Amino acid sequence: MSLLAERSSTVAAADADREPSLVRRIVGNQQFILLVAFIVLFAFFTERNSVFLSVSEIGNNVTEFCTLIMLAVGETFVIATGGIDLSVASTAEFAGIVAAFGMEHSASHGQAFIIALGTVIALFTGAFVGLVNALLINVLKLVPFVATLVTLGAGAGMCLVLTGGSPVDNDINAIDMTRPLLGPFSWPAMIIIGITIISGLYLHLSRFGRYTFAIGSNPFAARAVGINVTLHTYLVYILSGILAGLTGMYLFMQLGSGSPTSADGAELTAIAAVVIGGARLTGGSARLTGTVLGAAILTIVSSGLIIMNVSPNFNQVAVAICIALAASLQVLRRGTRKEA
Amino acid sequence: MTATDVRAPLYEARHLSKSYGSVRAVRDVSLHVSAGELVGLVGDNGAGKSTLVKMLSGVYAPDEGELLVDGIEKHWKSPHEAMQAGVETLYQDSGLALDLTIGANVFLGREKMQRGILGKLGFLNQREMDKEAAEDLERTGIAVAASRRKVGQLSGGQRQAVAIGRAVAWAKKVIILDEPTNHLGARQAGEVLSVMQAARDRGLGVIFISHTLPHILQVCDRIVVMRLGAVVRDAPTSAFTAETLLGAITGLHVGE
Repeated sequence: MSLLAERSSTVAAADADREPSLVRRIVGNQQFILLVAFIVLFAFFTERNSVFLSVSEIGNNVTEFCTLIMLAVGETFVIATGGIDLSVASTAEFAGIVAAFGMEHSASHGQAFIIALGTVIALFTGAFVGLVNALLINVLKLVPFVATLVTLGAGAGMCLVLTGGSPVDNDINAIDMTRPLLGPFSWPAMIIIGITIISGLYLHLSRFGRYTFAIGSNPFAARAVGINVTLHTYLVYILSGILAGLTGMYLFMQLGSGSPTSADGAELTAIAAVVIGGARLTGGSARLTGTVLGAAILTIVSSGLIIMNVSPNFNQVAVAICIALAASLQVLRRGTRKEA
Repeated sequence: MTATDVRAPLYEARHLSKSYGSVRAVRDVSLHVSAGELVGLVGDNGAGKSTLVKMLSGVYAPDEGELLVDGIEKHWKSPHEAMQAGVETLYQDSGLALDLTIGANVFLGREKMQRGILGKLGFLNQREMDKEAAEDLERTGIAVAASRRKVGQLSGGQRQAVAIGRAVAWAKKVIILDEPTNHLGARQAGEVLSVMQAARDRGLGVIFISHTLPHILQVCDRIVVMRLGAVVRDAPTSAFTAETLLGAITGLHVGE
């Protein structure tokens, strides 16, 4: 029977796929290449200036990484659905400012209470912007690029309206909390890393993550099997907004003020981290470990350049080079798969 | 007198009509399929087959007429509702998510969760889904590779096999297949036909839409012919030859 003949041949093909040659497995694994790139860069910068390996410098890198990673995690979910969120950085600034105002009015309470209150305010502010994004997409049927461009502009504008352009100082000293507690890790950093790990588990092992990829891969098929694509779109953009809001609170804690420019341009760095991590911008394919490595590489490249006394103005160029390298790596991978 | 006449219809459409603006795509169409029956639905492009299928599968609500499952009237609000009632539809474009694995696709929308607290937190039991997906596809007679492979890595025929296997595995009552043998080679098309026959033999009602008349004549128990939005013939396959079937479709030799 032809059926059986075909089965044996397809199974053989599957087995060949499961155990590819070592070279192909390495080239085909973006995570592995990113890890190697990270280690090489780290070693290179350390060789240039051994300060790079000091606990305090690693602590600086962890802080920078933490301001980037939550934006990048939210962006990973959004991009996995085939969308994009350009508003994350302005949302972070907006949430930081709103939280700063909110905390100002409760300055008589204990510090822990005030910080918790600020965190909740920032979280809800972020969720609100995410909700607006999803409403623009679901109700007004704007494409995500335009919808989040609208909130990017509106959020940045609101920041200036609320602050008149200067940071909101409220005498709440949260900088202490951002000092390293365990090695180079402050406790907000540990929470952020925890959120990142949980997000990864949800993206790759939960039903929520499965639906996220299904929608990005084939929204028609997702709808046909009863996945509520509209609801899921709301949830994903609200998640991205919440993570941006928390980033805003983290920035507030570092700076001691809500600044309207603290995260300017970070949306592009976050998207860059996701793309370097191997995600496909049209949706359906992303790895959170890739995003983490992408964010880590971007972090050490920018701090490494500073340590090498390269002008920070070159930072954007370095980010651009990282994107170009990662993107061509993807093209290369696709090439090897076709040959297989 | 055929056995079909004695059996109660499993899924029945009565006097369905559907218009798009001033265009009457489907006019007063009645159609039924019984348990263990394979019905062929044929007609030229624009005959109204696709519109009829979309009403049967819950994509469109009919303007007029009623749909009955086991004699009980149904008003589908979505394709998902029809699926939950046991009516599965396989569309021309197969409806698979290419970036997901075979196992994930077979269970898409009906995931198996981890037991206990992990399941409550939303975590999937992928291992069990992979295992059951392989068994389901095996049972429907479909040859596909390991459940862990992404559907996008499969050939066109294998993808179609997964889509059909998924539909057959989940269909409790009726399975509607819209052009399932399109873009397939002769051998793969033959496999698809035998999968449909196996589904019929398991007691499902099967509605098979195709332009490939030899396939229709080969496997169907009964053939329904549509032309210009209406049913023009509904008769056992034995009543047709290749010529009279073609005549009924084109309208050149109706009732011959």
